Amino acid sequence: MRRSLMRSGVIKMTKMEQDTIITIRNLSRTYIMGTMQVPALNRVTLDIRRGEFATIMGKSGSGKSTLLHQLGLLDTPTEGEIVIDGVEISGLSESERTRFRLEKFGYVFQEYAILPELTALENVYLPVMALGMSQDECATKGMDALKKVGLDGRANHRPRELSGGEQQRVAIARAIINKPKILFADEPTANLDSVSSRQILKLFRALNRDIGQTILMVTHELEDEEFVDRVIWLTDGEVVEREG
Amino acid sequence: MTSTTTQLKISAFLAYKSIAKGNKGTSVLTILIMALAFVNLMFMSSLFTGLTDASENQVIETLYSNIVIEPKDEETYIKNPDSILKKVNIVPGVLGTSAQYLTASTIVHEEKSGAWTVRSVDPDDEVLVSAIPEMMIAGEYLSKYDRGEIVIGKEIAGGHGGSLEHISLGGVVVGDTLEVAFKNGVRREYRIKGIFDTNFIQSNQLAYITEKEMESVLGTSDMTSQILVKTEGKGGEDKYVEQFTMLGVHEDIKTWEVYAGIVRTVSQSFAAINALISVIGLFVAGITIFIVIYVSTVSKRRQMGILRAIGIKESIIIQSYVFQAVFYALCGCIAGLIVMFMVLVPYFIRYPLVFPTGDVTLVVEQNNAISRGAGLIVAAMIAGFIPSWRAVRETILDAIWGD
Repeated sequence: MRRSLMRSGVIKMTKMEQDTIITIRNLSRTYIMGTMQVPALNRVTLDIRRGEFATIMGKSGSGKSTLLHQLGLLDTPTEGEIVIDGVEISGLSESERTRFRLEKFGYVFQEYAILPELTALENVYLPVMALGMSQDECATKGMDALKKVGLDGRANHRPRELSGGEQQRVAIARAIINKPKILFADEPTANLDSVSSRQILKLFRALNRDIGQTILMVTHELEDEEFVDRVIWLTDGEVVEREG
Repeated sequence: MTSTTTQLKISAFLAYKSIAKGNKGTSVLTILIMALAFVNLMFMSSLFTGLTDASENQVIETLYSNIVIEPKDEETYIKNPDSILKKVNIVPGVLGTSAQYLTASTIVHEEKSGAWTVRSVDPDDEVLVSAIPEMMIAGEYLSKYDRGEIVIGKEIAGGHGGSLEHISLGGVVVGDTLEVAFKNGVRREYRIKGIFDTNFIQSNQLAYITEKEMESVLGTSDMTSQILVKTEGKGGEDKYVEQFTMLGVHEDIKTWEVYAGIVRTVSQSFAAINALISVIGLFVAGITIFIVIYVSTVSKRRQMGILRAIGIKESIIIQSYVFQAVFYALCGCIAGLIVMFMVLVPYFIRYPLVFPTGDVTLVVEQNNAISRGAGLIVAAMIAGFIPSWRAVRETILDAIWGD
């Protein structure tokens, strides 16, 4: 109720609320495996601030990817509340969730999740194409995004002609092309060598610093801590936090 | 929400990229299979159409021409045939008429004999309504004033590989003498002037003598059993029948279709067989496309998950696969038409299939090609939709990271 009144402008958000882009309250996710119930997240309560570069860390099976999937609307929680940019997610239909992902989120996955049939530029401008932009606008925005990740010279190359690090930078360019409210990254450096990994993390850091991009990243590399503002540590589906 | 135009644009873009930048071998193979499916659909229907067409043409060209004027029910002969011929011949579109007298006869040569129909004709008129004068395989056709000469079909003559060799005269040749016993009891000897082969079993059992000869047999003139009328084209005979009636021809006027009863029955049976084969053909084509798209969706399962994750609507993904299926079907139709028109049709014109009803070639009808092409495209749309629809039903997480 309060949320909808906030959205309609009847109630003004507090400064704290304005600064918060993701609010999570008592979020749980339990998987059913046969007759077994496997809890992956256990009553997680958390806020993510605008412009924050936060990382979710934890051991394998701690629930870090599960948490990212709930926040990225790739999965549906068993219970709890998620409010993103003032919108309570549980009230969205499937098509609204799709639209929400397109307009407000950017994703970078562990694998270089770009389409092999498309060039780097085409991969990058796909989201804005889906938003109805013209071919020229798509190409211009795509080139801008590629420039930001330092790949404007490789625009017409197809994924198989790019290195792993370059493919991941294409994925990042695609993730930021529509100026998303939040960029989700699920172990984006897991398949990269150390040099490429540092390049990607520096790129995230630069995006966060230069354009205030909110980034929520899952990683299991402890040394990634040096690039982030905040570490959210998960243990057995529960949050233990510390500043980066 | 994403507009329909934007959706179609992205679907077409993804489909185009998938085909253009995807595996060329798979695309070529799929199009080849679609082309074969289309040829399969077209071939049988074209063959059946060709068979029907050949049979109908034989009825028209060697038996009854386009229209037959017969005596009224209660009469044996046509009264005032000259008056009728005058009326009919002035109608625009009438290319020729031939008054004939038909009689049953027994034809004998040495020890062999048989019962056949003898037609008497004016050869000058007959060439205008019948193709038989052009189908001589030995000797020549009758001339207007021939007397004591007969032209016979190869099923009567025998010795030419006919289907009714066992009841033929056993291989008579031009110049041999035949004895003909007419229905009125008159017996005459005739020299064989020519033997014809129409490739049509029914007309190959006819014998022809001149009108003048028949008059001497009957002892009277102006006896006409039927008048054959040749008109322009095939299929518009009813309008001529109407005009003849309006001009005062009150005889029994029938189109060739009335005499093509057996052909029509066969045609209807072919149509039923053809429909069955078409349904099976479409089903096989649909299953083929289904498998191709299914394999594609399985191999691109993760890609589909990624597209959905970044906010591409499921309907766009499904449409892109439907577009691909339609593209394969369309290319298959075009390739199939090329095979039909550039290979099969010319081949069968050169080497027609020999049926008892005549030489059969492939007749590709425009409506047939359109309906079968449309059927193939609809089958492809369904076959493209089902696997992609099933694929987008799984969760995004299963699609990207599932087993």
